[in-house]
Amino acid sequence: MTKTLHYSPPWGDASIIGVAGSSGSGKTSLALAIVASLNLPWVVIMSMDSFYKPLTPEQSRAAFRNEFDFDAPEAIDFDILVDRLRDIKQGKVAEVPVYSFERHARVEQTTTVYSPHVLILEGIFALHDQRVLDLLDLKIFAEADADLCLSRRLVRDVKERGRDIEGCIKQWFGFVKPNYSRYVAPQREIADIIIPRGIENTVAIGMVSSQIQKTLAHKSSQHQLELGRLGKIAEESPLSSNALIIKQTNQVNGIHTLLMNPETSREDYIFYFDRMVAMLIEKAADYLPFQPRQVLTPQGNVYMGLRNSAGMSAVVILRGGSAFETGLRRTIPDCRTGRILIQTNYRTGEPELHYRALPSSIKEDGLVLLLDPQMSTGGAALMAVRVLVDHGVPEDRIVFVTYLAGRVGINRVLSVFPEVRAIVARLGYDMEDRWVEARYLGC
Amino acid sequence: MASKSQAPSQSVGPGYRPDTQKPTATVSTEIPHQNVHILEQTPQLIALLTMIRDKNTGRADFIFYSNRIIRLLVEEGLNHLPVVEHTITTPVGRSYSGVKFEGKICGVSIMRAGESMEQALRECCRSVRIGKILIQRDEETAKPKLYYDKLPEDIADRWVLLLDPMLATGGSALMAVDVLISKGVPEDHILFLNLIASPEGAKSFAERVPKVRVVTAFVDQGLDEKNYIVPGLGDFGDRFYTM
Repeated sequence: MTKTLHYSPPWGDASIIGVAGSSGSGKTSLALAIVASLNLPWVVIMSMDSFYKPLTPEQSRAAFRNEFDFDAPEAIDFDILVDRLRDIKQGKVAEVPVYSFERHARVEQTTTVYSPHVLILEGIFALHDQRVLDLLDLKIFAEADADLCLSRRLVRDVKERGRDIEGCIKQWFGFVKPNYSRYVAPQREIADIIIPRGIENTVAIGMVSSQIQKTLAHKSSQHQLELGRLGKIAEESPLSSNALIIKQTNQVNGIHTLLMNPETSREDYIFYFDRMVAMLIEKAADYLPFQPRQVLTPQGNVYMGLRNSAGMSAVVILRGGSAFETGLRRTIPDCRTGRILIQTNYRTGEPELHYRALPSSIKEDGLVLLLDPQMSTGGAALMAVRVLVDHGVPEDRIVFVTYLAGRVGINRVLSVFPEVRAIVARLGYDMEDRWVEARYLGC
Repeated sequence: MASKSQAPSQSVGPGYRPDTQKPTATVSTEIPHQNVHILEQTPQLIALLTMIRDKNTGRADFIFYSNRIIRLLVEEGLNHLPVVEHTITTPVGRSYSGVKFEGKICGVSIMRAGESMEQALRECCRSVRIGKILIQRDEETAKPKLYYDKLPEDIADRWVLLLDPMLATGGSALMAVDVLISKGVPEDHILFLNLIASPEGAKSFAERVPKVRVVTAFVDQGLDEKNYIVPGLGDFGDRFYTM
């Protein structure tokens, strides 16, 4: 299998929705209402407030006197915004800056945005920059009565941002109002939908939400089609040479028999599974990089040996992968372990990424083990490898370790990621239902 | 040095890696005897051995890394036990023609260093019976002498995994085998699990008891004038228990 194939995860072409409108027009609550009505984990709200330019000392002093114009497009760092939006659109990891209103500066830490299927960008200038407009799939303008906007803004700035009333009123008439007619209002002309009355407008929210749902359903079916196409290719090829099936010795065969026999007690099942995992991890550890190392024995003799020259980490694909942890710790007790939760949607059969927590050093490690006791269609494995690659792990340092896998599933993953390797304890049937972790975890 | 052959050196690493990317290290000396099984010299095994040979490795690490090697030895040793065909129905309702372990086993450790291998044996065989043999060198004759043994009563019906991490001259191991045979254990039901052997010890053991299978992680270069294995790793029992 030399041809490299492409796999695009369901978040590969994220839909971005822009919500613009006057300050105090209720953009945030509108975005929240849309998210609430969708009730899906893949929808993220990003506020343009995060992209305020850090102020110079002089600008900062003006800001504290309420004499700096935060409501002009110049206050926003559109270059970074466009950059981050492009990353998200392509399904990459994006670090979003965090802006402190107390200090008028960006803070050290950033917020990581990864794998949203839908991103809602809200800000007074969400529909201002042409480069942003080019990335938007839906343009919304939130409209509200000017008196309502002022009163909302007063309440928010005094309560949440620690300002005084006089300062706020000075800002409103000095900057906000003139900027509205100059920059904000014209965005109405390019909006796809204008939503008056904010969150009270349940009809409009319903429309937007059903539009998003349609997009998500389309993405999901595209993803399924793609998995199907990869499966076709995988069916026609022999087992990839990057897949290593461990030697089927008497012990290994005996343990297989015990693990596969439903009459084996749970205690025995766990015991033998842990033993098998320890063997798999030992095998996987051979893929670490090694360097020559000369040591002296207690009697002063020289031995020319080897040592690991880079760290190893593991990423557990939840929940099945957690069945590997006892065996993993038996071999490498201090192995840094990340976790990702991928669940297969029982309606669509599509794997979904729900959660991820990865070690920060994962990019530098010499080997990253991806642990999942059973690979069926390879859909979850493809997604997991993609997550690692997106987080900067070179493909050739990823080893997928599994107890039971079918040829088609393995080929599907290894044809998309030709440098990834797989270690398998037993080659089973294609598309076998998952049972390995259920036996281990007892539910 | 009493005897010391040239240590074999070769590049080690998985097959997919080109030779230029495989680091070079000293690997096990080959032994022509059919009944001596040396573990595959993987880079991981060499790195583990490097850790336990290093005099700067502390006791906690010494225990942990030797345990990992011993587990590999036990897994390999268990493969020499007989199995019988056993067909079962899998959780997804398919028939699978597998195998079942056949025959009872027990461990016998040569005190005290051999006892350090019991934990790893239990990690693979939970409720295994373990007998003990104490053999000490007689100061007058400089020959090994049997001081004590306590073995399962039905040991003659069991496969025996004999445990001793270091095989230098092979004197105590041979004496332990004699004890087992005198209790009625057939010679071909004995498996000797060993971490590091000297070529002399491995040869004389393999020739004296050709039906006993030896499973070892590494055959070293030779013995020094005090009959210590070279390069070896020092006194295994001391490093494991008291140092």
